[in-house]
Amino acid sequence: MTGATTPPPVDDRAEAAPETRIVVANQWQLIWWKFRKHRLAMFAGLVTLLLYAVALFAEFIAPYSAGTYSATHTFLPPQNIQLFQQTETGWRFYPHVYGHKVQVDPESFKRTYVVDEEIAYPVGLFVRGEEYELWGLFTLDLHLIGAAQYGDPVHLIGTDRLGRDVLSRTIYGTRVSMSVGLVGVGLSLGLGVILGGISGYYGGLIDNLIQRAIEILRSLPTIPLWMGLSAAIPLTWPPVRVYFAITVLLSLIGWTALAREVRGRFLSLKTEDFVIAARLDGVRELQIILRHMVPSMTSHIIASVTLAIPGMILAETALSFLGIGLRPPVVSWGVLLQEAQNVRSIATAPWLLFPGLAVVVSVLAMNFLGDGLRDAADPYQT
Amino acid sequence: MQPTHTRLNAAAATDDVLLEVKEVKTHFFTDEGVVKAVEGVNLSLKRGQTLCVVGESGCGKSVTARSILRIVPPPGEIVSGEILFRQRDGRTVDLAQLNPKGREIREIRGGEISMIFQEPMSALSPVHTIGSQIMEAILLHLTVTKQEARKRAVSMLDLVGIPRPSETLDAYSFELSGGMRQRAMIAIALACEPQLLIADEPTTALDVTTQANILDLIADLQQESGMSVLFITHDLGVVAEIADEVVVMYLGRDVESGAVDAIFHDPKHPYTRALLQSIPRYDSRDNKRLYSIKGTVPHPFDRPTGCPFHPRCDDFIAGQCNLIDPQRALISRDHSARCLLYPTAAIHNPDEEPAT
Amino acid sequence: MNQRSDLNQTDEDMRPLLEVRNLHMRFPIRRGMFRRTVGYVQAVNDVSFSIRSGETLSLVGESGCGKTTTGRCIARVYKPTAGQIHYAVAEEESIDLAELDNQALRPFRRQIRMIFQDPFSSLNPRLPILQIVGESLKVNRIASGSELEDRVASLLKRVGLRPEYIRRYPHAFSGGERQRIGIARALALNPKLIVADEAVSALDVSVQAQILNLLQDLQEELDLTYLFIAHDLSVVEHISHRVAVMYVGKIVELASADELFKNPLHPYTEALLSAVPKPDPRLRNKGVRIRLEGEVADPSNPPSGCYFHPRCRYAQDRCRAETPAFREIGRDHWVACHFAEELDLRGFEAIGSTAE
Repeated sequence: MTGATTPPPVDDRAEAAPETRIVVANQWQLIWWKFRKHRLAMFAGLVTLLLYAVALFAEFIAPYSAGTYSATHTFLPPQNIQLFQQTETGWRFYPHVYGHKVQVDPESFKRTYVVDEEIAYPVGLFVRGEEYELWGLFTLDLHLIGAAQYGDPVHLIGTDRLGRDVLSRTIYGTRVSMSVGLVGVGLSLGLGVILGGISGYYGGLIDNLIQRAIEILRSLPTIPLWMGLSAAIPLTWPPVRVYFAITVLLSLIGWTALAREVRGRFLSLKTEDFVIAARLDGVRELQIILRHMVPSMTSHIIASVTLAIPGMILAETALSFLGIGLRPPVVSWGVLLQEAQNVRSIATAPWLLFPGLAVVVSVLAMNFLGDGLRDAADPYQT
Repeated sequence: MQPTHTRLNAAAATDDVLLEVKEVKTHFFTDEGVVKAVEGVNLSLKRGQTLCVVGESGCGKSVTARSILRIVPPPGEIVSGEILFRQRDGRTVDLAQLNPKGREIREIRGGEISMIFQEPMSALSPVHTIGSQIMEAILLHLTVTKQEARKRAVSMLDLVGIPRPSETLDAYSFELSGGMRQRAMIAIALACEPQLLIADEPTTALDVTTQANILDLIADLQQESGMSVLFITHDLGVVAEIADEVVVMYLGRDVESGAVDAIFHDPKHPYTRALLQSIPRYDSRDNKRLYSIKGTVPHPFDRPTGCPFHPRCDDFIAGQCNLIDPQRALISRDHSARCLLYPTAAIHNPDEEPAT
Repeated sequence: MNQRSDLNQTDEDMRPLLEVRNLHMRFPIRRGMFRRTVGYVQAVNDVSFSIRSGETLSLVGESGCGKTTTGRCIARVYKPTAGQIHYAVAEEESIDLAELDNQALRPFRRQIRMIFQDPFSSLNPRLPILQIVGESLKVNRIASGSELEDRVASLLKRVGLRPEYIRRYPHAFSGGERQRIGIARALALNPKLIVADEAVSALDVSVQAQILNLLQDLQEELDLTYLFIAHDLSVVEHISHRVAVMYVGKIVELASADELFKNPLHPYTEALLSAVPKPDPRLRNKGVRIRLEGEVADPSNPPSGCYFHPRCRYAQDRCRAETPAFREIGRDHWVACHFAEELDLRGFEAIGSTAE
């Protein structure tokens, strides 16, 4: 076709633009460059990664296992780490916690702990402690932090009514709580993309039906619905099955928001000039969806997924807190908070609310991360 | 006002200059670097006249307008220059020195200088009626009762040619067509009888027949009220229709300015000439090819050295244009061009001569 | 006089490349919870015209007149609700594109290509230029691998871009360069007819001239036929051989560019021509500008008779009652107006071209 060629009209006269890396950068590079500028989101991303690392290596990071209890150390308050110890020759670096003495009030028989500065339990990193199996593969006894001498009662965030280490239990709870969010969002993503995609692509009656279904689902009050549904989970089910039932339950309601997002994207992309151009190029429908439409949506979907996870975490926490979600012996933040559900524990053992702090941190981090991703998701707006 | 400037713009000292912009630079401090959107622009607008600022996208014409009103969005800032505006009470104020959020500039905005935009939909509030938006402007700047403000709003809508003004007063912006919206925005802008109307591409989004009506309307209103108009456009046809004076901008500076007839019939700067040659005209149709400027407007981050137009210029002098930043050369009394083809020795540039 | 008129003469007896007969396209208006159809927008209403091989036929009109929809029906983005689009495939054979399904359309999609208005939204920002321009070559299994790269590189060269650009993404290009990429994509399959939908409307004057020149060069070298959709009459006048004027979904006038601009027969054409700003200040106030009152009719509820009658200054009772037929008056000059013979309308020249 280029048989009769005249010299290119203009561009040769102009100077060549310098070849910089931005001109050949693909969408993910551009998103990353834009996201990187968002300081808060970067920090939140780091925190989120850290939380998932904690979930992954819970056995290693926690000083004790989730079930280790000590009848002699119930409701032990948090012990402050002392970094230095005074000796005859001066101060030396010796991280340790003080021991406790139990005092019993002669009138009310109330037990209180008094710090005993005479006793020092050394604390260390990478210490030997209880044996555990990491991911069912390796048998180890190395812990990131804990008592330097196996058996010393070191409880940095205190203990609960059975003398279980709150820090360790919160770390184990991370695993369940963070994964409930992930698995639940994964399920609702599947439902949302499929139903939203169908709705947006085909339109018409199907779209109408799906949209009405979404509206009905969304108009139901969530807490009573969850309560009703989770009440239907048989008490006899093993914890793992309950866990999955709860995630399925959460995603059944969570998919609607994602479906709407996907449908909206589909509708606007369908009339986008470059999609029409692809159709005129002779590209087949499935290829148009896979090559042109889906890549244009993925970054947005990732952002909304990130924003949906904290909702799931909160929902799980709320359900477990109400006692209709996960139940002990499963350890999740909600289950842990359930223990702090009475005035007595808040008054005498406020450290039991520590898992609540974990919830706040994780939800905030994921929200900031999602916000940053959403801002960076469309790097082509100038 | 410094006496040195008066020699360049002889009119500056006289009373009939309403607005004078001198070597204004507005830069945007982005994460990627400094975008020099406006890099030394000069213009002077007399009372009752229409000055057109014309240029292609990215030449800084809109930023110039926003700099005058001090509504440059962050991270943009005026870094140097003067914007002298003669207020109604006879005082001359340097708008560039005012606090952009201060009381003084807010009183000038809307009261003495109004602005209309390309897209009326984004400038009009969708949740307030047209009438309440006009009345808000009136009540803010004039001491009148609500009743009087309402009456005035109706007469404004009537003035801009909106049919059934008292009904439209209670309409929302989305209920109006594009042309009517633009008229409503003009009504709001003119409600307080400003001395200066800044129009930023007000007809670009409109159809040609609607555009003709709006241009007529602005001209009629100008004749009646004697206000000055600073009209920003990329359309040379529109310039030829309405301008008294023209400033041609390229990459953030005025490359040529002069009376409209001089610009169209005796253009001096190679960019102005090229621009005029690139528009399809009725009499050009026998020459099949249009003249086209080579290349494209450079990215704001790699601003050429010397004369910013040199990489695209047909009259490029190697060793000169790419090194020397041309100053304004006076061609005749009101006609100047920033180009090395014309001797600068004869004229006095505020940059070259220290203020005495 | 020039090549254009020659072409008109020689082509007159030729069979058209494309013949549109009684084309209708309507879009349902849906309302309410169950999206019931409450009415129709008659975007294209009984439009007939033909495009001759090697010519540029322009569709002009104001926004909402149906010109884009007509173009999209021909490119078969939409399936028209009624009418035929006969495309000449051989000497005595033509195929009605309007009734083909997607599968049967595939061979014709190679020959009828489209250039879009918005150079930003028409290129997928997530794909490199190689994929965008080469898409049609790849899906039609014409080239792949290094051959595809060579083809795309030569296409880029053809439209005045550097062949090294194939690995770049659209965001690295300016508006004019993107439009060149869009043109390269359209050229990939050796098309015969190109539907250029407002292809230069979003571009700056200097870049617009480059693209117009490129389109004309390509037409000459590759023997292309253009359906050029635009609202800028100066551009249309420059590039077209014949021009069709549309108003509310109907063609009101169709003639050669010379004839239509010199001697318009429809009052709407006259009004459009008079509204075009002339790029010469000396023509200001020469001739009377026709102000069109009122708004463009609502295509879901058009007026009776001639759709233009509410805004027409020559309207009579007959215009309100009777729909004017689209008929040929004079050689190759079609118009839909009852009084075309009687009215003495002014063309572009009478309203004013260059004074000298």
